Amino acid sequence: MSKHPVIEWIDRRFPFTAFVKHELTEYKVPRNLSYWWNFGFLAGFVLLLQIVSGVFLAMHYKPDAKLAFDSIEHIMREVNYGWLLRYLHSTGASAFFAVIYIHMARTLYYGSFRAPREIMWWTGQVLLLSLMATAFMGYLLPWGQMSYWGAQVITNLFGATPIIGGDVVVWLRGDFVVGDATINRFFVLHFFFPFLICGIVLVHLVALHFVRSSNPSGINLRAEENISLHPYFTFKDLFGLGVFLIIFCAFVFFSPDFFIEPDNNIPANPLQTPPHIVPEWYFLPFYAILRAIPDMLGGVVAMTLSVMVFAAMPYLDRSKIPGGSRYRPLYRAMFGVFVLDIALLTYVGAQPATDEMTIIGRIATTIYFSMFMLLPIMSKKEEAWLFVRGLPQEVMAMIAEEKDDDRRRREKDRRKNERRREQE
Amino acid sequence: MKKIEILFTLMIAPLSVWASGGEVPLMQVDLAHDAGTRKQGAEVVLTVCTGCHNLKYIKYRDLQAVGFSQQEIDDLRGAAEMTAPIMSLSPPDMLKDTYGVVPPDLSLIAKARAGKGRYVYTLFNNFYMRADGNVDNHLFPGIRMPDVLGVAAMGEGPDKKAFQESMKKVASFLEWASDPNAEERESLGFYVLIYLIIFTLMLGVMKRRIWADVH
Amino acid sequence: MSDDDKVKDPQRRDFLGKATAVVGGAGAAAACWPLVSSMNPATDVLSKATTEVDIGSISKGEAKTIAWQGKPVFIVHRTEDQIRAMNESPGGKDPQPDGQRVIKPEWLVIVGICTHLGCVPNRSATGWSCPCHGSQYDLSGRILKGPAPRNLELPPYQFVTDNKIIIGKA
Repeated sequence: MSKHPVIEWIDRRFPFTAFVKHELTEYKVPRNLSYWWNFGFLAGFVLLLQIVSGVFLAMHYKPDAKLAFDSIEHIMREVNYGWLLRYLHSTGASAFFAVIYIHMARTLYYGSFRAPREIMWWTGQVLLLSLMATAFMGYLLPWGQMSYWGAQVITNLFGATPIIGGDVVVWLRGDFVVGDATINRFFVLHFFFPFLICGIVLVHLVALHFVRSSNPSGINLRAEENISLHPYFTFKDLFGLGVFLIIFCAFVFFSPDFFIEPDNNIPANPLQTPPHIVPEWYFLPFYAILRAIPDMLGGVVAMTLSVMVFAAMPYLDRSKIPGGSRYRPLYRAMFGVFVLDIALLTYVGAQPATDEMTIIGRIATTIYFSMFMLLPIMSKKEEAWLFVRGLPQEVMAMIAEEKDDDRRRREKDRRKNERRREQE
Repeated sequence: MKKIEILFTLMIAPLSVWASGGEVPLMQVDLAHDAGTRKQGAEVVLTVCTGCHNLKYIKYRDLQAVGFSQQEIDDLRGAAEMTAPIMSLSPPDMLKDTYGVVPPDLSLIAKARAGKGRYVYTLFNNFYMRADGNVDNHLFPGIRMPDVLGVAAMGEGPDKKAFQESMKKVASFLEWASDPNAEERESLGFYVLIYLIIFTLMLGVMKRRIWADVH
Repeated sequence: MSDDDKVKDPQRRDFLGKATAVVGGAGAAAACWPLVSSMNPATDVLSKATTEVDIGSISKGEAKTIAWQGKPVFIVHRTEDQIRAMNESPGGKDPQPDGQRVIKPEWLVIVGICTHLGCVPNRSATGWSCPCHGSQYDLSGRILKGPAPRNLELPPYQFVTDNKIIIGKA
């Protein structure tokens, strides 16, 4: 097929066709990827949705303590389709976390974070942190009671910093309480962070297209078991997007207040705290961990650690058996316990801090961290047990192959070193 | 330890002024959602409630959407512009002196309470006479709002029935006022979902056909 | 088996592909409409498209400037002498009889934006003169001298009562 003259003109100046070939039509993807592998694409879509709806909202929003609440009502009532923009954006925030959490759970379950995909996992970790920061700052902008007191409490957490804690909190807010200076800077940063996120997403994708997708089996597929991204996975992803949009739009159009606390329809009042402050659902597990520790600094450290500890996963999982749960019953069981534990923490985080809730929260927090701490020992023990019990041939072949690769690499290094010594 | 206490107080401070409605279950009530009902509710709100409460996100022109005629709106607004928000005639300072608080704005009140219109309806049904002769509210103990409609002394009977009917209309109007685009949203949502279902089915068939040579 | 045949029929697959592309494209285009529409004037801006003015307080020979859609509108209560003078004059480079520029001869209602480059003319002894480039208008808002190409614009308006006009609605 001959190329279109316009395409040809471009190709002499920009690698358009080569790019499409390399990244789409000839980019090879394991054919056995399940629908769990759709969520990265969905996350990209929701990012785009948030940026577009956010840009149009920003044309009407006013980041001023006196005007913010009214400007949201102006958007909701007077701006053409303003209610749609706002509900897309507020529902989109929840959708973003739902999609990202499933994406992370898939990565953990199938062991996709393991070598050579550490950089993908870590850029993903940075993306999660950026997303959390963006969501937190965006939540202040409607300037309702929950917005205000959420920001007040979370900025207070930085007061746990030793020695300079108090100054840090005031610095973050630009005021002694969350005030006009705070909403202004949160708006600017809420607008700016997505630029960072887009940049990190690019790194995440470059890494992906270099190391390529993992797959449910965890073992490397033979070349003929890979198929091109387009049209196979583009259409699979688009179909998944259709299903996602049906669920998403059902919320946006028929239950948009599901993710908005009633109290946030009351303008912020710095002199009165609502009786029951709850963070957004996506922060509940971490909030429960914060409350489980009976010391402010300890709580903040535990909460930070509960998010950051994921970064250590490539080193905590020491098993030689490739992949995640496919061939590893013990790892699978631990994953199951971990997911149930997070569900429990979510529940505890939403409840008022009664005595029983505190105890349940502490137990769940202990389970949460012990899963990570046990993993190095458990993965080794599991490995030994599975070697004795026997593993499918392809798994053993892959372990042997990696050993070979290792030996070859060491051999090469040794020879290189020898040559250098001779030259000297 | 001191800091953590402050922090926790901030998080869970139980302030009775904020009625959460935890103890009294909200009453089950079916609210009609037609312009006629809303208009009757609006008439009560505009003659009774706006004596003290603002309705600041609703403008006089918005009343056309619940079926007020131009003449009726002109009678209501007096010298105020069509585009003016509906505000209480009582000065807020005077209200604060009388009741200790500025009465909350009503245009978002339904959305600002779990249960929306049901909360409003339940609140009005829960005024009662305390032993000391003062009026209080089961749903919102210590409420500053006086029992303007005399519910506590009403007893059961035809008066109460008429009152409840009227309150349903008020609740219906306040739900509309807190979310005036709900109908447009739901009707648009219906078409969006139909479209998405058809398009997703088409994509599903496409995907199956493209994948047919893989399996 | 028959299902397989369908799949292998490239024409059918092609038709479905085109149909899906059309439906998807139409949906994406429709999804852009709310975004475009949100940039148009909001309903509170549109509702200010008309302005009611009480003109009873303007005595003979006096003028008042009010804002209509954010633009200045001059309302002048003209005296008999002024009306006569305007009736006799044909206007300047954009001639128009005074009778076509008013509903009631004693009331002149014009948009106070110079037709040259949009400055607001100042009252002068004989009408208005623009501070930016010196265009001169008479008491009918007609251009007499200067760079402005046309007479001052007339807003649509009507008399609700003798003392009240509504601007923005003819």
